Formats: sequence, structure tokens, C-alpha cells
Amino acid sequence: MLKILIPSMFMLLTTWTSPFKQLWSTILMYSFLVATLSLTWLAMPTDTGWFYINNYMAYDPLSSPLLVLTCWLLPLMIIASQNHLAAEPENRQRTYISLLISLQIFLILAFSATEMIMFYVMFEATLIPTLIIITRWGNQMERLNAGTYFLFYTLAGSLPLLVALLIYHSSMGSLSYLSLTSLPLTCSNLYADKLWWMACLLAFLVKMPLYGVHLWLPKAHVEAPIAGSMVLAAVLLKLGGYGMMRIMIILDPLTKELSYPFIILALWGVIMTGSICLRQTDLKSLIAYSSVSHMGLVAAGILIQTPWGFTGALILMIAHGLTSSALFCLANTNYERTHSRTIILARGLQMVLPLMATWWFLASLANLALPPLPNLMGEIMIITSLFNWSFYTLILTGLGTLITASYSLYMFLLTQRGPIPHHLILLEPSHTREHLLLALHLLPLLLLIAKPELVWGWTA
Amino acid sequence: MADYREAPLATRPKTLDPNEYFNLSPEQRRAEESRAALRAGLKRQYQLQLNDPHRKELIEDPALTRWVYARANPYPLFRATKKTSLLGVMFGVVPLFALYYVFKTDRDNKEEKIKAGTLERSFSLAS
Repeated sequence: MLKILIPSMFMLLTTWTSPFKQLWSTILMYSFLVATLSLTWLAMPTDTGWFYINNYMAYDPLSSPLLVLTCWLLPLMIIASQNHLAAEPENRQRTYISLLISLQIFLILAFSATEMIMFYVMFEATLIPTLIIITRWGNQMERLNAGTYFLFYTLAGSLPLLVALLIYHSSMGSLSYLSLTSLPLTCSNLYADKLWWMACLLAFLVKMPLYGVHLWLPKAHVEAPIAGSMVLAAVLLKLGGYGMMRIMIILDPLTKELSYPFIILALWGVIMTGSICLRQTDLKSLIAYSSVSHMGLVAAGILIQTPWGFTGALILMIAHGLTSSALFCLANTNYERTHSRTIILARGLQMVLPLMATWWFLASLANLALPPLPNLMGEIMIITSLFNWSFYTLILTGLGTLITASYSLYMFLLTQRGPIPHHLILLEPSHTREHLLLALHLLPLLLLIAKPELVWGWTA
Repeated sequence: MADYREAPLATRPKTLDPNEYFNLSPEQRRAEESRAALRAGLKRQYQLQLNDPHRKELIEDPALTRWVYARANPYPLFRATKKTSLLGVMFGVVPLFALYYVFKTDRDNKEEKIKAGTLERSFSLAS
């Protein structure tokens, strides 16, 4: 693991010392090298599953898919940002790349943390580079509002988590993952214990996001520049899911009674945010609400605490990360041509940019969970385990799948099919860089069809 | 020259209709003429941009910008009327309580059946 972490840290040095003409190609090649090395994390020959590097960092079948996704995303973010940063002065370009690299370092440390406090500190640390990216390099005035919502929703959710972790530590003595399984806080019906349970989960529910507290997500995703949107959708939401999976161990007897409101909010959120997607006029906002919808399913899958639920949640997180990031890249190709995110301004693109239409098609199909893609695998496992939990969830999840299919198809048909509006007189042809970017997003997704065991998590 | 037609559903002002022109008072005619002058100015700006050979980008439509902004920021435009409050309660509050009731009773029934030993587990996959 050090062969990935130390090069990532030195990539910061490379950003500031490489000659400007070769900056982007150097950083791109360097991050591709790190990403390729990170694939070694997926090979898990031992029986225990846990790989310890030192006392503080380890990875296991739950965190290794997320780690590989994080490392894979950095070259993709760099390819995506190259165009819109080309106009900026040199130091600002280096700063932007440094922010992306530092975000990756914090994420690697967060996913490989073996102790809850380290995970918490890294969880908070990822907020800073993301906030800087959104508020400094976003394109509209609303980015300040978006940054405020993003920062304060997450902070308000995670300060109770700090208190809860410190309470647990002072009473149990350790927050290491190894000891968490054998030290749940004893069950009692005290109101304080229920508040403690709530405090542990709130941060991750806000990050996921759960339907009632999802307001920061459309703002942050829409106002962020493309690399910010990509990393938010692909990895930062999954931090919430991963944290929830880790902390479920100590929350145990209380979860059976207290999780009902959150499962209900998550499932109702799938339907509500799906319906909002059908009414959106802004392309990035549509993709952001579809992220909330998918993450609602993940939240429900984690809260019912069954093995298939966890597996489905993990697969859906990985598959959704790649799909959502690909959709944001496609929306960015539209934005770079028309400088507007309104869907109706750029329609009928299949006639003008047919190869890009192929990528739109594949990404929309992935979004609506077409078999045999891993999106479907994750969704089916979550839906099945929810059905086992209670039959009536099938109405909600079935309706949710129907609405997902309809808004994905709506997005595809509205942007690709139909007549081209006659006010569009200049659309640049698709660059090779854009094709490469989308191919690199969708290729892992297609390869995961063949070996989903890599991202199954512990229930192998 | 780019193709420019009148908006098909727009009505013609009365001053342009020869049957009506002489029925109008001078104040109405003057008002109509000043409005027509404003409209002609806007039309001229649009046509200048439309037929500009060096134009590469979209012509900005302020009405579209306002509409998109209104759709993207609905909260300042929200007003609590009887209809909106009813819709909010029906879709945002009632389903949560109804679903809680449904799931809780279903799960409690299942728990009783498990405790009594009568639960039929026909769904035999791992969960």
C-alpha cells in the first residue's frame, strides 16, 4: 500500500516542480501509474481478508473496491479538467491539481483507516479540498451558497459523530476495527443510548445522502466544476456508505427498532427524488437527483443489516460511482459546447455527435440498471433482501425501478433524439480526450460483469 | 439571411388591422406605436445577433434564463397556500407515517410467527 500512498504524496511535489509545458501529461501518466498499481489491492489471497500495512492502515474486501475506485478516478478527473483549466494562469492550474491529489490522499487514508477516529478525521479532511474546488472554480454565483450548504450540512451531521465516538472510546477503551466486533455498547432503553445511536449514524446519513437531509447534494453537484462533480458523485458519497457499514457493528441491538424511520425515508426518497428527476430542466441537477435516488437504495440496504444487503450496497456503490461520474462527464461535454446546463438547449445530438451518442446510450443504460451490468446486480440484491425483510417494500422499490428507468430514458431521448434546434450553429466535434474519458469510465463497469467477486465485499 | 417568421400564435395589435384602426382613440394609437417601437428595437437586436456571420455561441434569451433560474431555485418562490400545504403533507408527511405503520405491523406479525414457530420460510435463499 505504501507503493501507492507515497507516490501520491510525491505527486504533490511533482505538480509544483514539473515544467509547465509538460505538467498535464506528467501528472496524467503518474496518476495512471498509481491507479494501475492500486489494482493489486483487489487480489486477496488470505483467508482472514484483512491486510495490515502497519498498525494504523489496513484494507479488506469491503474497502479495497472503494480504494481502487478512488485511485482510478484521479487520472479521469485530470483528463476531464484539462480543457476548462487551460485558460487559467499557471499557478492556479497547479493549485487545482494539488487539491485533487490531496483529496485522493485523504480518501486513501480514510478508506484504509483501522480506527474510527482516524476515519473521522480523514472524513472531515476531505471536505476542505472539495469546498475549495466548488467555491473557487464553480461557474455560477450560486457556488457560494452551494459550498455553504455542503460544508455546514456535513459538519452539523458529523459533530455529533465525534461526540459519540469519544463517548464510546472513553467507555470501551478502543475504537480499533478489530475490537469493535466484540465490544458493542450494552443494550439499554435509556434515551441517551438512542441519542448516541442517532449521533453515530447522522453524519453518514447526511453524506449518503438520506432523503430528508439531501438538500446539499443537488446544489454542490451542480455548482462544482467537472472534477468536483466527479469526485463528489463517485467517491465522497460512498464515504458515507462505507462509514455506515463500519459503524453498524457497534450499533447492534438498538438498530432493530430505531432504523425504521431511516429505512422508510430512504425508500420514500427513492421514489420522490426519481419523480423530481422527471421534472428537471438542468442536466446536472437531473444526474444529481438520480444519485440521491440510488444512494437511497444503498442506505436502505445497509440499514437492514443482512449479508446480501451489504453486498448489494457495496456493488451498487461501485457501479453507481462509475456510472454517475460518466454521466457528469457527458453533461460536461454538453456544457463546454453550449455553456449552458439547460437540457432543452442542446437536443438531437445523435445527428451531430453520433459517437458521443453511443456513450450517452451506454451510460443511460447503466443508470437504469440494465442486466448484466453490476448496477443491476447491486439493485437486485438490495431489492431481494428488502423483500425478505418485509414484503411491502417491493411496491416502493419496484415503483422506484420503474421511475429510474423512465427518467434515464427521458434524459437519453431528450438529449440525443429528436430534431436539432436550429439556433445551435457551432458544436465542436468530439475530442479524443472526451472519448478516452468515457471509455475509461465504462470499461471497468463492463469488465465487472465478468468478475463481480472483486467488489462483493465480505460475503464471498 | 436566417429564416425569421412571426410567432405563429401571437396576435396582431389592433393598430395594424385596417378594420379597427379608425375606431381607436389617438391615445391608444400613440401607446400602441410606442410599444411597437420597443418591440421593433428588441427584434432588431435579435436579428442583428441572428444574422451575425461571426457569431459562434447561442443567442441569450433572458426569458429562458429567468425560467431556468426559477425552476432551479424554487424555495424563494414558494408560498404556503392551502393547496401547496395539502400537497406537502400528502406527499411528505403522511407516507412516512403510513409506511412506518405498514412495516412495523408486518414485521411484528412476522416476529410473533417466528416466536410461535409458525413462520413458513418458502424464500429459501440467503438473505
